Amino acid sequence: MDTRILCTLLVTAALALAACGKKDEPAPAPAPAPAPSVEPAPTPAPAGIAVSSVTAGSAIGADKKVTVASDSFAPSDTIYVSVDTTGSGTAKLDAKWTYHKGGNVAVVKEDSMTIDTAGPATHEFHVSKPDGWPAGDYQVEVMLDGMSAGSKKLTVK
Amino acid sequence: MSNDMPDFSNVKGGSSSTATKIYVVVSGDSLSKIAKREYGSAKEWKRIFEANKDILKDPDKIYPRQELKIPPKE
Repeated sequence: MDTRILCTLLVTAALALAACGKKDEPAPAPAPAPAPSVEPAPTPAPAGIAVSSVTAGSAIGADKKVTVASDSFAPSDTIYVSVDTTGSGTAKLDAKWTYHKGGNVAVVKEDSMTIDTAGPATHEFHVSKPDGWPAGDYQVEVMLDGMSAGSKKLTVK
Repeated sequence: MSNDMPDFSNVKGGSSSTATKIYVVVSGDSLSKIAKREYGSAKEWKRIFEANKDILKDPDKIYPRQELKIPPKE
């Protein structure tokens, strides 16, 4: 290669490099900070209290749960109904015990309690009759804040 | 009620809970009476008093329609 051409190329390259170096480019903008991630709001706990189960039996434990579930009772039995609830807050629980014969219905007993709970809880209602339950068909209906939340058909033999 | 229906007037009932119950005071109530009914022992009145110290200053002074917290039976 001709020495002049070589020099020209070298000078051109040097100038180009110098020009690049002189170019006062603004500092690259910092990468944009990642947008703050928006966490999905936690699913709120179910509002209020709900009845999860209703169980009948002739005995309960200290935890208020029926120890042996049954829908058949002897005349001398105390009859229990255990009600499990979930959720928190205040609610009114009612138990309405009825006797059914033919087309007739007699109210045996009604009880209610207002509860204030911060989480799952168990509640019980019970009935007894000193002179013994007449044989026949009974039912207990559990209501939560006035709305039916479950019922059990019971038999006394 | 039909005449051939049994008499259920002597049926006894009750309730309890693992949660705190709210009891509304009625005329004639005392903490001892409430404790007897809820816990089976009048001596347990102190538990009710302790649970309601925010609204009760004197255990002998409760009033109808007051709402008392009844701690679960232990």
